[in-house]
Amino acid sequence: MQVTLEHVTHTYQPGSPFQATAIRNVNLTIRSGEFLALIGHTGCGKSTLAQHINGLLKPTEGRVLLDGQDIHQKGFNKKEVRQKVGLVFQYPEHQLFEETVAKDVGFGPKNLGLPEGEIAQRVQEALDKVGLSLPGLAEKSPFELSGGQMRRVAMAGVLAMRPEILVLDEPAAGLDPQSREDMLQLISSLHRQGTTVVMISHSMDDVARFASRAVVMEHGTVVMEGAPEEIFRHPEELERMGLDVPSVCKLGMRLRAMGIECPQDIFREEQAELALLSLWKGGAGHGAE
Amino acid sequence: MALNDITLGQYYPADSVVHRLDPRVKIVLLIVLIVAIFVAGNLLAYAPVIAFLALVTYLSKVPVKMMVKGIKPLRFILILTFVLNLFFLQGETPLLNLGFAVITKEALITAVHYSLRLVLLVMISSLLTLTTPPIVLTDGLERLLSPLRVIHFPAHEMAMMMSIALRFIPTLLEEADKIMKAQTARGADFESGNLIARAKAMVPLLVPLFVSAFRRAGDLAMAMEARCYHGGEGRTRLRVLKCERRDYIACAAVAALLALVILCGKVY
Ligand SMILES: Nc1ncnc2c1ncn2[C@@H]1O[C@H](COP(=O)(O)OP(=O)(O)O)[C@@H](O)[C@H]1O
Ligand SMILES: [Mg+2]
Repeated sequence: MQVTLEHVTHTYQPGSPFQATAIRNVNLTIRSGEFLALIGHTGCGKSTLAQHINGLLKPTEGRVLLDGQDIHQKGFNKKEVRQKVGLVFQYPEHQLFEETVAKDVGFGPKNLGLPEGEIAQRVQEALDKVGLSLPGLAEKSPFELSGGQMRRVAMAGVLAMRPEILVLDEPAAGLDPQSREDMLQLISSLHRQGTTVVMISHSMDDVARFASRAVVMEHGTVVMEGAPEEIFRHPEELERMGLDVPSVCKLGMRLRAMGIECPQDIFREEQAELALLSLWKGGAGHGAE
Repeated sequence: MALNDITLGQYYPADSVVHRLDPRVKIVLLIVLIVAIFVAGNLLAYAPVIAFLALVTYLSKVPVKMMVKGIKPLRFILILTFVLNLFFLQGETPLLNLGFAVITKEALITAVHYSLRLVLLVMISSLLTLTTPPIVLTDGLERLLSPLRVIHFPAHEMAMMMSIALRFIPTLLEEADKIMKAQTARGADFESGNLIARAKAMVPLLVPLFVSAFRRAGDLAMAMEARCYHGGEGRTRLRVLKCERRDYIACAAVAALLALVILCGKVY
C-alpha cells in the first residue's frame, strides 16, 4: 500500500486575519515497508503534513492518493483511510478517556464496527505488542498508570485498528530515558514485522539509528530528501535550519578538527564503535595510552 | 472547523486611535452608548448612532467583515424579533392584508426599530472586544470596580478569574480541536447520527478536555504561587492606566452623541 501527496498545500483559517499557510506544494510518496523520518524545526509544518496522510486535514490545494485513489473524492470511504493509516499524535496519552484500559484500546475497533469477540482479541493483541500484558492491567483505569504506560496504551489504541502505515508525531517526546528506549524499540519491532512507519523526530540519533529514508522540511516545504547518510553529509545546511546531526557525527567532526584521521560516513553508534576501535588499535602501535 | 468561527470576544490586532483608548474610558463609553441606543425613541434618532458607529469602525481599522461576522450567530433571534413584531403588533394604518394577519405601518416601524437596536447593540459591544485585548479589558474593569472594595466586592479576584478564563479559551479550543482529531483518527464520528448518538460521541472529547483543563489549572495555581501571588493586596501594575487627550475627546464626542439622540427623539 502506498500513500502519495501531490502538490499539497495547506492553509489554516483561509480568508481570516489569522490565515497561515503551514505547508506549500509538498510532493511525497510513502513507500510500502519503509521507515521514513520527518525532520524539521518547530513550526515547519511536520504535524500538518502528518495529518494529511490519513485524511484528517484536507489539502487547500493538491491531492492525497491512497493506492492511486484520491481520498477526498466523493464517495471514498474515509474510515478505510483511518483504519489503514494509524496516526499517533504528539502526547497521545492526552486522548485517553475510557474507564478501563481495555475499553480505551477497543475504541478504534468498535468504531470500525467489529464484533465484540474480534474487539477483545485485537485489544489483547495490541496490549501484548506494546508490552502491557500484565495481569489485571487491562481492567485498570488508564489514568492510574504512569506516563510511559499511558502513552503505550494510547499507542495500543491505534495498533488495535491494525494499520498498515503508522504515522507517529514525536512519539518519544517527554519520556524518561527508559520509556523512550522502550518506545523506540517498540516502533522498530513493528517496522520489522512489516508496518510502514513515518516518524516525526527531533533526535537525529534516532533518525540515524532507525530510518531508511529522511525528509527535511523548512518553512512548509520539503528541502532535503534521501537516506540518512546522505542527509547528514550536509551538517552546515542542517545547522543553518536550526537542526542537528547525530552526536556520533559531531564526535567525528571534532576528531577530524583535532587532526585525528577518522572516516567520514559514521552516523550510528555501532559504526563509531568499530572506527574508534580501529583508531585505538592503530594508535596503540605508536605507544599511545 | 466551527471552532474558529467565534468572533464575539475576539481581539483584532491593529494600530489605531480606538485601540489606544484607555480601557476604562472605553467601557464607560460603551455603557453610555448602550443607554443612547435604548433612549432613541424613533428611527431618526438612530441616524447619529449609525454614523458614529461607522466613524469609529473606520478609525479602528477593523474590517467591516469582522463586524458583520459578530452578528451571524444572532441571525435567528433577529429574524424572530422582526417577524414577531411585524405580524403580531396591532397598529392603526394597515399596509398589507395577508388574510391571516394585517401588517400595519406601526408594526413595520417597530419591527425595524427593535431589530436595528439589537444589531447596533451587538456591533458596538463587539467593537469594544475587537479593539481591546482581553487582558487590558479585565484590567480596566478591575480598576472601574475597585471602589466597590469598600463593600467587600472582590474586584481583583473577579478580574483575575476573568482574565485567566479569557486567556485559556483559545488554548482550550485548540486542545478540543486536537483531541477531536485524535479521536477521529481512531474512527470516531462527531458529525453524523441522531441527537443521542451525537451526545454520546462527545464523551471521548469531553473527558480528555476536562482532564487537561484540571491539569492546567493545577499547574497554573502552582506557577502563580511559586511566583509569590497572594491576591490583589499591595500589587502594583505593569501597565499604569492614564487618561490622555484622545480619551477626553472620545468622552466629549459620546456626550454630544447622547445629546443629539435625545434631541432627535424629542423633535420628531
Ligand atoms: N490549528 C491551527 N490553526 C492555525 N494555524 C496552525 C494550526 N496548527 C498549526 N498551525 C500553524 O501551522 C504551522 C505549522 O505547524 P505544525 O504543522 O504544527 O508544525 P510542526 O509540527 O513542524 O511544529 C505553524 O506556524 C503553526 O502555527
Ligand atoms: Mg508538531
